Amino acid sequence: MNENVIQVSGKSEISQIMREIARDLLQQKTVSLVIGWEKGILPNKSAPAFITQSHDTDKLVFDEYCYHNLTKYLLQRKGSGLKTAIFVKGCDSRSLVGLVQDNQVPREDICIIGISCPGLMEERNTVIPAKKCETCYTSIPVEYDFLIDCPDTKTGDDEPGGSFAHRELSKVENMTLDQRDTYWQTMFQGCIRCYACRNVCPVCSCKECCFDLTSPDWVGKGNNTSDNSFYHLVRAMHVAGRCVSCGECERVCPINLPVMLLNSKLSLSIEELFDEPPASMNLDDTATLSQFKPEDPEEFM
Amino acid sequence: MKKVGVFVCHCGTNIAQTVNCEQLAEAAKTLPGVAYSTEYKYMCSDPGQTMIKKAIEEHNLDRVVVAACSPRMHEATFRKCVNGAGLNPYLLEIANIREQCSWVHSDKTKATAKAEDLIRMAVAKALKNEKLTPSVIPIHKRALVIGGGIAGIQAALDIADTGYQVDLVEREPSIGGKMAQIDKTFPTMDCSACILTPKMVDAAQHPNITIIAYSEVEKVEGYVGNFDVTIRRKATCVDPVKCTGCGLCSQKCPSKTDSEFECNMSQRPAIYSPFPQAIPNKPVIDQEACRYFKTGKCKICQKICASDAVNFEDQDELVTIRYGAIVVATGYSLYDYNQYGEYGYGQYPDVISGLDFERLVNASGPTMGKIKRPSDGQEPKTVVFIKCVGSRDANRGHDYCSRACCMYTAKHATMVRDKIKDSQAVVFYMDIRTPGKNYEEFYLRAVEEYGVTYVRGRVSRIYMESGNLIVQGEDTILGTQILVVADMVVLATAMEAQPDAAEFARKIGITFDQNNFFNEAHPKLRPVETFSAGIYLAGACQGPKDIPDSVAQAGAAAAKVVALLSKDEMATEPIVAEVNTNHCSGCGFCVPVCPYKAISLKTLTERVHGSVAWGPAGKEITRQVAEVNKGLCQGCGACTVNCRSGALDLLGFTNEQILAEVDSL
Amino acid sequence: MTMDNGQWTMDNEMQRQQGTSVRLDSVGKDWDPKILVFACQYCTYAGADLAGLSRLQYPTTTRVIRVPCSGRTNPQFVIRAFQKGFDGVLVAGCHPGDCHFSTGNYFTRRRYLLMTRLMEFVGMDPRRFRVCWISGSEGPKFQQVVTELTDAIRPLGPNHKLRDTELSSLVGGIGR
Repeated sequence: MNENVIQVSGKSEISQIMREIARDLLQQKTVSLVIGWEKGILPNKSAPAFITQSHDTDKLVFDEYCYHNLTKYLLQRKGSGLKTAIFVKGCDSRSLVGLVQDNQVPREDICIIGISCPGLMEERNTVIPAKKCETCYTSIPVEYDFLIDCPDTKTGDDEPGGSFAHRELSKVENMTLDQRDTYWQTMFQGCIRCYACRNVCPVCSCKECCFDLTSPDWVGKGNNTSDNSFYHLVRAMHVAGRCVSCGECERVCPINLPVMLLNSKLSLSIEELFDEPPASMNLDDTATLSQFKPEDPEEFM
Repeated sequence: MKKVGVFVCHCGTNIAQTVNCEQLAEAAKTLPGVAYSTEYKYMCSDPGQTMIKKAIEEHNLDRVVVAACSPRMHEATFRKCVNGAGLNPYLLEIANIREQCSWVHSDKTKATAKAEDLIRMAVAKALKNEKLTPSVIPIHKRALVIGGGIAGIQAALDIADTGYQVDLVEREPSIGGKMAQIDKTFPTMDCSACILTPKMVDAAQHPNITIIAYSEVEKVEGYVGNFDVTIRRKATCVDPVKCTGCGLCSQKCPSKTDSEFECNMSQRPAIYSPFPQAIPNKPVIDQEACRYFKTGKCKICQKICASDAVNFEDQDELVTIRYGAIVVATGYSLYDYNQYGEYGYGQYPDVISGLDFERLVNASGPTMGKIKRPSDGQEPKTVVFIKCVGSRDANRGHDYCSRACCMYTAKHATMVRDKIKDSQAVVFYMDIRTPGKNYEEFYLRAVEEYGVTYVRGRVSRIYMESGNLIVQGEDTILGTQILVVADMVVLATAMEAQPDAAEFARKIGITFDQNNFFNEAHPKLRPVETFSAGIYLAGACQGPKDIPDSVAQAGAAAAKVVALLSKDEMATEPIVAEVNTNHCSGCGFCVPVCPYKAISLKTLTERVHGSVAWGPAGKEITRQVAEVNKGLCQGCGACTVNCRSGALDLLGFTNEQILAEVDSL
Repeated sequence: MTMDNGQWTMDNEMQRQQGTSVRLDSVGKDWDPKILVFACQYCTYAGADLAGLSRLQYPTTTRVIRVPCSGRTNPQFVIRAFQKGFDGVLVAGCHPGDCHFSTGNYFTRRRYLLMTRLMEFVGMDPRRFRVCWISGSEGPKFQQVVTELTDAIRPLGPNHKLRDTELSSLVGGIGR
């Protein structure tokens, strides 16, 4: 794998290397599509780019506004056998591993070009580091075919189950039961059930989502607090042990609900209870809820 | 429009005394979907059942709710009843208003209100019930017995005698198992070989039994009636057809190694049969011991063999055979007493196990039946026996009692007193457990007639002093420390699961307990069945057992096998998981949670519409979806909860049915 | 149910506005909670039947849904029960190691260890939601668990957390 690690001297060089790799892959017909980022229409916003022609590769950029986790786009080519190259940051790489584990994307169909990530800026306030980078402990991708290795790699002060996530959680955990109830009641009341958090979530890879089904009618389709609560709690359970903490759900929420809190709560509980590493750190992991140990904690006797 | 009939049972006064049944029947009429409702003193009685059947016909009922005792009591009865009136039996629901209502409450108003709710739930569920039909699977009429010890041999004989074909797989070169190593059997003191070897011969000569020795089960696929078992036939390097079993090769073989059969107390050649009465009586080459395989030179056996049976090119061979039923009789192994520091960590040659003693006392054993201690071949005068070595010792061994040790220790002590003049036999014990026919009498004879000394207490240490073994222990009855100068010490080591038991269980899909013994389906009522239909247990692989128990269990397992094989096909319970492939994303999360390996992924090909230019729009794609093997599925529903999209559902307990029950209140 | 429907709705509204739980004094000592039990048919359901055979008395607060295995009990059913107006939920199955389906309850245990934490995290009173193992021979334990659960929930008053009040106001208190 070493010959596929390309050292760059700084983050400004990343874009250039990306273009070269992408051009080669398309020219050699190794892949028929490259998924990366391009400059967006608005300043400080980069957008996903889907490149099928080698002469278009110059569009590719990498900057501190490449928030998008691109891996979920791979589902649109599911089952086609088409080869795709995709750029991933450290955090994205874990969701890609998740998709492979979930049998959604064959590893051999994907050329993973990892970028050891120098860190992003907050989307709405572009001078402070992005919140998800504060909790980051995987700035270097966990799986790749090519790696653009940048010395400016920025890792948050965090480690698996680290202090940042605990700090965030403790804000809620320190509340009384009634306060927590009120807090979440307000949050869930505010939810407009746009499903953006689900749609962006790279581990929400179901063909049909249970919240969309009418039979069984798991959840009312209207917007009421009770059904909103059902939606958020069940979604948290569905991604439990699979969430890669990419933070996309929270980023895309139009009304800024702290959706990640629920996921972090479960991720940390999994570590505490089952002593398991964070999800999708490597391809051989088994999902938490698909396995058990006879010596798991026993609270229910 | 679905029409539900509700039938409320008084159960004499069992229900009626705390629940107002008339009121219930009236209230039920107002429930959505209910077209008819009535009550009766005994619904399960003949007139009661007739009443239900008549109502189904008269009122065109297509769902039935019986509010009565627990479904565990009479669900089957009422299913049969509605089926008699032409309704699919799975359109019936039971509201349990006796065990879970009238019997546990005394306030009639509250109990009636609760019973109403229970009926409301049952009606809500019944409205979602669908017709279910059992599927039918064929039964392949051939049985496999794994393990050729006494349990396996007995099971194979019993099955074969009823006319079915049986394959008996044994991993050693000969069948016979542990019993072949044993000298005499308690409490009758029959010679073990004299009662075992005729059975071995019977098995070998039985037209319906094929012995597949020196072979191991590699893989089990399929399900009851249709197991596809892959067996590895290890290379024997001796052609069994050409070999006459003359034994000349073994005599001339220059390579020697410890004999496993003689508990490493004597040597055997590299080309060997484990013991003279071995079956099959064709030798095999132990490649690890053979000079040719180690150095490339020798081949004496090949040169000497008159029938040209030796073939050094022989390779392991995998064969896959289909069976309808499997008996697991893989036996036990013995606790390694070297872990006991106080007994010398196995450093003292004259501290031996019970099985070693069996060989020492056996007429064809390493000492020709003369009890000689291993260190210097002297006849021991004082022999100390220590029981519960590794049994009933949670710290270093096992919690459980190994069941046979009390008896075989009494046997050994008797034999010492019987065979060695002026000898002394001292037994250290925790308790004496003799629960078997003529067992207590046997033990008493050892004490009273043979004068064996029993000391209640544990041995704290064995050490050497001026060439003698000193056994230091406590007599807890007298409350004193005692020292015994012993010439030999025999440890009654625990029976434990085979070292590879857990791995084997996973391979064939059965479960095992905390001690790696295989689990029976029910400790009282289904002692020879496993949780996997079509797989049965016999002998000590299920737990420590003596010979009569093993033989009895083997007969029971054989009866189960025969009952299964006697049918051409069997109906399976229709309460199984079902996949909606339109919703299934093929994530495979259901696969590992299934305890029966009933779920696999299959590939679908379909044309898709896409929204992006670079997708496969309008083209064919292949995708994987879950598939449930209805023969294997036992209907637990664990997969349905791990299926996020609800593509998997459990018939009879569907998501919709359970939600309807929740919503009805 | 002895609970007055009108009173019920008022309490519910009151505490929703104040963000506090309803206390015993405001609902009356004779208020009975409604508790849904998911019972696996091989152990807990059999245990409940045994309680009946032994004539062990317990409050009329429980409604049992029979499932083949506790592993069949989707956490979504539990949330649904709270949505539809149950004041407490009990999920019960065989003791670990005793599962009729050999491993079902191990998955249940994992899932509900997480679920209980999540519920508490979002402000669900842990006294309203219990998971426990009750074997087919533990009739007295079934009696004890449902009695304890009832006693624990009674002072808490009706549950409002997750509850679909739009529905409950429509049908006037969930068929009570």
